[in-house]
Amino acid sequence: MAEPIVRIDHLNSWYGRGKGRRQVLRDVSLKLAPGEVLGIVGESGSGKSTLAKCVLGMVTDIAGTLEVNSPRPQMVFQDPYGSLNPAKTVGWILEEPLRAAGVTDRAERRRRVGELLPLVGLEVGHLARRPAQLSGGQRQRVAIAAALIQGSKLILLDEPVSALDVTLQAQILRLLAELKEKLGLSYLFISHDLAVVYQLCDRVAVMTGGEIVEEGDVDTVYDHPRHPYTKKLLDASLALD
Amino acid sequence: MKHKSWYLTIGGILTACMLAFTAAGLFWTPYSPTAMSAPDRNAGPSAAHPFGCDQLGRDILSRTLEGAGSTLTIALAVLAVGFVFGLLIGALCGYYGGAADALVMRLCDAIAAFPSVLLALVVLAVIGPGKYNVIGALGVLFIPSFARLVRGEFLKYRDRDFVRSARLMGVSDLRIIFVHILPNTWPTLLSGLTIGFNNAVLGEASMSYLGIGVNPTEPSLGYMLKEAQGFLFTTPWYTAFPAAIVILLILGVGLIGEGVRERMGVAS
Repeated sequence: MAEPIVRIDHLNSWYGRGKGRRQVLRDVSLKLAPGEVLGIVGESGSGKSTLAKCVLGMVTDIAGTLEVNSPRPQMVFQDPYGSLNPAKTVGWILEEPLRAAGVTDRAERRRRVGELLPLVGLEVGHLARRPAQLSGGQRQRVAIAAALIQGSKLILLDEPVSALDVTLQAQILRLLAELKEKLGLSYLFISHDLAVVYQLCDRVAVMTGGEIVEEGDVDTVYDHPRHPYTKKLLDASLALD
Repeated sequence: MKHKSWYLTIGGILTACMLAFTAAGLFWTPYSPTAMSAPDRNAGPSAAHPFGCDQLGRDILSRTLEGAGSTLTIALAVLAVGFVFGLLIGALCGYYGGAADALVMRLCDAIAAFPSVLLALVVLAVIGPGKYNVIGALGVLFIPSFARLVRGEFLKYRDRDFVRSARLMGVSDLRIIFVHILPNTWPTLLSGLTIGFNNAVLGEASMSYLGIGVNPTEPSLGYMLKEAQGFLFTTPWYTAFPAAIVILLILGVGLIGEGVRERMGVAS
């Protein structure tokens, strides 16, 4: 097996200091292979977002092994209204990661933005617009493009379609699957929505109370859940359908 | 929203007129603002002297033109001092937070607890009157209110996802503060600036009216009002015209601020 892009072994993490310090991750272990999509499912407060922040290096109070073998992993946030700077144009937003990466040549930045646009289903005409002038789906495409433009191979998706309606959800999920194939990406897909996880993910890890209670291939876990919490989650999501 | 407010239009026109009037005064006055003429003492408004003359026969239009110029220059300088430092302090405190933020903000609270004009008065009583002392004293006292305003805006934005995402991309903190967050705060800062400008004009006028502002040789609108108060009933025009200029200037800028707030949907 190839070298995993993320390797987490017995990871613990805490929030707060002194008496208010409480543990949010308990003995979490998982691997993400290159080209793989791992879903992390759980209710809010289960620790799944904290796990993502750990991978991004945003949590400092940790113990255990955390290896991320990909430079500068990026994140696509849930709410494309909040993740795009309202004061800037799409063109600026897409060029900014390149500026931060030290691409000082304007023409070069433009060229790279121009190359990426068709891949995420945007047009040159969108570049001069501000986020407020785009639809929710277009915004999420911009957010995805911004996460990809530095060439990151590891992308964390934090409920990337939860703020969209069902038709758009399907479009964005398809786009994410295409991009993964074309660019050789690996995703850590965080969601509370089991149906969405099923569509995109190869494997799934179920989290509750800061622990991973079950992990395995999507089909196996969905068809033969072993842990009572997984069963509960599946029942709840079936009841809604 | 179809309704388009007239605040910006009226405010803009008024401010433009006042600025033109003031700018003209920097280059040209019909008479020397200090030339005295015995026959014209206490003369009322006429074709030769549209604003009339004071008790020494000096042309009030010329003095108002010059006075408006120095009042405006001082107000803008005060605003610049207060805004630049307030912006820096507020942005850094709001973005980084922590103990330094708490300390600086308590200091600002302490300064803001006193009426700024009163505090400036005390400072000027100690360091003496004069143009630059007025600018310094009022400017420093304006810092806390701007710092607070800017800090509030930065607090609002620092945990937004677009800021987090910029951090993940390796954008430097300074660039996040000034290039990513600052442009989002302009509508609020702009309306704060208009209020600050008006306070600066009034502050300078108050200082000079109380006789601890600019030197008597360089008339400001406040100083003219001080001179004129003894002649309110014999030569009311001496009071009326400088006062009208102050009022119109403040009204114009105030309306612009109101218009900006309304258009940008900023709560006042």
